[in-house]
Amino acid sequence: MRAFRSELTKLRRWSVLAGVPAMVAVAVGLSYFGLSHMADPKLEQAAQAIPTTQGLITLVSFPQRLLDTIVVAMVTANVAAEWSQGTLRNLLVREPGRLRLLAGKMLALLLFVAVSASLALLVAAGFVLIAAPSQGMSTAPWVSLSGVGAFVSFWGSELLGLAGVSLLGMLVAVMARSVGTSVGISVAYVLIVEDLVSKIWPDGVVWFPIHLFRYLWGTPSGFTLGAPPMGYTLDVAAALLCMLGFITVSAVLFRRMDVTA
Amino acid sequence: MPEPLDRTSRTLSSSSAHTPDLVIATHGLSRHFGYRKAVDDLTISVPRGTIAGFVGPNGSGKTTTIRMLLGLLRPTSGSATILGHAISHPREYLPRVGAVCESPVFYPGLSGRKNLEVLAQLGGHPRSRIDHVLEIVGLDSRARDPVSKYSLGMKQRLGLAMALLPEPELLILDEPTNGLDPLGIIELRDQLRGMRDRGTTLFISSHLLGELEQVTDWLVMILEGNAVFNGPAHELVDRRGELVVEAADPTQLNLVAGIATAAGYRVTWTDSSLRIACPVDWASELQRCSAEAGAMGVTIRAREASLEEGFLAMLRGER
Repeated sequence: MRAFRSELTKLRRWSVLAGVPAMVAVAVGLSYFGLSHMADPKLEQAAQAIPTTQGLITLVSFPQRLLDTIVVAMVTANVAAEWSQGTLRNLLVREPGRLRLLAGKMLALLLFVAVSASLALLVAAGFVLIAAPSQGMSTAPWVSLSGVGAFVSFWGSELLGLAGVSLLGMLVAVMARSVGTSVGISVAYVLIVEDLVSKIWPDGVVWFPIHLFRYLWGTPSGFTLGAPPMGYTLDVAAALLCMLGFITVSAVLFRRMDVTA
Repeated sequence: MPEPLDRTSRTLSSSSAHTPDLVIATHGLSRHFGYRKAVDDLTISVPRGTIAGFVGPNGSGKTTTIRMLLGLLRPTSGSATILGHAISHPREYLPRVGAVCESPVFYPGLSGRKNLEVLAQLGGHPRSRIDHVLEIVGLDSRARDPVSKYSLGMKQRLGLAMALLPEPELLILDEPTNGLDPLGIIELRDQLRGMRDRGTTLFISSHLLGELEQVTDWLVMILEGNAVFNGPAHELVDRRGELVVEAADPTQLNLVAGIATAAGYRVTWTDSSLRIACPVDWASELQRCSAEAGAMGVTIRAREASLEEGFLAMLRGER
């Protein structure tokens, strides 16, 4: 709890807080992009979902790929900076319980990611609801009971997926112990590596972490990667197992490693 | 010829081994990085209530030792206790230890006060303690400025404030005078003495031997990862004095030089005198031997060595 509170104090830095407006701007900007390009034939699948209860979440899911990249970069940089800046040794002198320290730090970061991602999602959804009528779209199905239910479900899936991405960032940071290297690795993995693997091993890549997390978001809207081929329940289970693996490996490494920063 | 340095005997000859209440005690502590032995079979001790200087050239293993004492590095072999607890269990003793390891580092975007708040929350220290330590180090008026705007000296002060947060029984400081102006150094010296008088034990790593000489009452010297001296500071200074021998007849000086050289001490010639690096209490023995050899007209004056001279002599492996 002490490590959690201490980390919250650190998150009140401008350099960290700047991530919130960035996420909101990306969410609103790309949602608007989707809204104004629904006539594009390439977006036919999404356009079909617009008049349904899935319409709102289809539009707000446009920025999700970029949001998970921002989140992984933010979390990785935050954790790795403790090594790069050398501040980790200050922290470990005051809290020698390494697992407590890492747990407190990650809980605070996950809370920060959840709050900022929720804010971005809600602002983007509000913006879409206001702007949609001007594009000739009816919002009635979106604000119906089942429409709101789909939105809440999407919201939960998004937070779960972002938690997974954040934990991946933690693992990379603990392994690389340098801001530049770890952010480079994590962003490259999220943006490129699994896409490349999907070209050569399309059946296998669905079990890779980023695919598992993105299937979570795609489930309700049928957008982004679409529904998980292994089924939603199995996807959730595999994603949770993946997160558990990230936590376990990070904890083992962090507990045993020498601090030379 | 100077004798080869007998590290073991020097380390164990100090009175430290008989001191009952040791705040730091290491036994054969070693840390190897591949083939490089950063710390090798280090046996030192620091008694409670002292200001202990931790001296050694760059790369001698000071920081590696401090990191092991703080639980940041695992030893390859050997053992150590801090405040009576094994370093393998840092949670038992670190709440009572304040430390600045290497140059103090902070979150540059946060104010000095916020930086301390982060650590106070982490260590479970009351907020009132933050104001108190800021006042002690004289940073209370700049506490709300971001650390990125602090000078090196201010960062050193903030580092000291950070180390003082837990009201430590043991304070470990790595080069605390770096970046401080002369007035700041004098203030720090007074603060360190004040802490010692209030019962805090201080373990200070520094390469500024002149600074250490002013405050330390215990000394640990390290070379290539091994202790070459561990004991009361005055013991080293006494051991490392200098005898200045003058005589009207150069042949008499030749005789004395021969006696000193045969005894294994370094002899330096000046225009009309000899300087012999040796314990000052060797003067009576030299006087006796000189008289027996026929050098009756020599004058022998003793001069105590500074810590720096003692350290350099130790590095050269002189007797």
